[in-house]
Amino acid sequence: MSGLARTATVALAIARKDAVAELRGKHATTSTLFFAAVVLLLFGFALGPDTRRLAEAAPGLLWLAIVFAGLLAVGRLHLVETDDGALEQLALYPVDRRAIYAGKAVSGLAAMLILGIVLLGVVAVLYGIDLAGAWPALVLTLVLGCIGFAAVGTFYAGVTVRMRAREVMLPLLMLPVIAPLLLAAVKATAAALAGDPFGELAAWLQLLAGYDLVMLIAGGATYGFLLEE
Amino acid sequence: MKTRALGMVGLLAVVIAAIFGLFVVPPDANQGDAQRIMYVHVASAWLAYLSFGVTALGGLLFLWKRDLRFDAVALAGAEVGVMFTAFAIWGGMMWGKPVWGTFWQWEDPRLTTTALLLALYVGYLLLRHLTDDPMRRATRAAIVGLVAAVDIPIVHFSVVWWRGLHQTATFGDPAKLLHPSAPLLFVVALMGMLTAFTIVWAYLMIRRYQLARTAWQIEEHGRLGRISAARQAAVRPVRPVAEPHPEEVGS
Amino acid sequence: MNDALFVIAGYGVILGGLAVYAVTLARRLRAAREESLRIRRDARQGSEPGR
Repeated sequence: MSGLARTATVALAIARKDAVAELRGKHATTSTLFFAAVVLLLFGFALGPDTRRLAEAAPGLLWLAIVFAGLLAVGRLHLVETDDGALEQLALYPVDRRAIYAGKAVSGLAAMLILGIVLLGVVAVLYGIDLAGAWPALVLTLVLGCIGFAAVGTFYAGVTVRMRAREVMLPLLMLPVIAPLLLAAVKATAAALAGDPFGELAAWLQLLAGYDLVMLIAGGATYGFLLEE
Repeated sequence: MKTRALGMVGLLAVVIAAIFGLFVVPPDANQGDAQRIMYVHVASAWLAYLSFGVTALGGLLFLWKRDLRFDAVALAGAEVGVMFTAFAIWGGMMWGKPVWGTFWQWEDPRLTTTALLLALYVGYLLLRHLTDDPMRRATRAAIVGLVAAVDIPIVHFSVVWWRGLHQTATFGDPAKLLHPSAPLLFVVALMGMLTAFTIVWAYLMIRRYQLARTAWQIEEHGRLGRISAARQAAVRPVRPVAEPHPEEVGS
Repeated sequence: MNDALFVIAGYGVILGGLAVYAVTLARRLRAAREESLRIRRDARQGSEPGR
């Protein structure tokens, strides 16, 4: 078996393990979803009841909700392992560190995508947005944004594992780093919803893709050092 | 002693450069006296970016060589850099209010990038405070510093796009600093301040590095000290004990 | 001249901040060096017999 194929197999095995743990009654994603929906409701109270204003702010509010919910989702990524010392065992396996990183990132991405798609629907209903014509661009934005978030989130979840004040340090370290992602994703979402009047959608999607690539490489290259500690 | 002399030279240079920038150079034709803030603002910003470059390099060298001295260099860069970043933002705000009419100009990519830079490296310093083991602290800090350094150009790039894709800048550009009515004096003032600040920066970096090394020695002695304290406690009873028990060492 | 206030605030905080940081840093360094010396002396005495 070639190196790359083996890495992919290991990564998928780790992601599947996390998915199984999630399905076997942890229900963490469900509670995160409700948290994000409540956040969107509160945004409505803070900016409403003017529906036009809410519709204008919708792309930014959607991504803020995804970011807040995503912080909770990636914060849990390593908890399954740290609770019973399994992370040390995982680090002992003779596999490429990048495979462990990729596996964790894939399970993070899966949670993020579920969150993103449901929240998109919640935003459409709550803020009165018509998604009909914009589906392909919105889904592409969502996927690219979630990949970047999962790439960065997996890295910082690894950094803050077993750290004092973990709950504060994860957002504090991560939020400034994902600022370009938030910016590009909000712009792309707004452009997609408006039917791309300025022809800028492609540029923002390219920026998102470039960000994803850089962060995946940076995360994959450095994640191994975290496991060696 | 040499470091002390460097500090004295830096102090003298800053005093001279400040007097020159405040009283010798005439006010700018467009920006008036507010333009004088540019000298300290630009110098602070330059050293902020230099510091974080040093932090990233120190982290990289630590990961490569596993030598805690590089980690001390990285720490010095981050702490001194956070200070200069705060100064750069402060100077930018004090310049922006009279010239742009607002403290915070969202359309200026430099200002927003620098604010995120500050947040990134304050996080870096907090991360260091919250990790006790020296090697683990150095490793975590090094990779976080590297990712932050990779992120900065993307942040800047995205913010430039953000305001620029279908909007044109309407405000005074700080880059015009270098071609006003009396160019030579302005350039001299700016270069003088840059040089003076860089000397002070070098002094502060050396001192902060020395502090980091001394603090590390104390940490190490603390570990040895606990062992010798356990040994003394073990010697004091009537029955002499040559070596402390492992349990006592670990306490 | 209203601008003068901003110039004073700008230079004051930046140069003052630099001075405060330099002094604080020198103090921290001196304290740390004394602490280091004390610890080293204690450790040496602690290892001597008859103490």
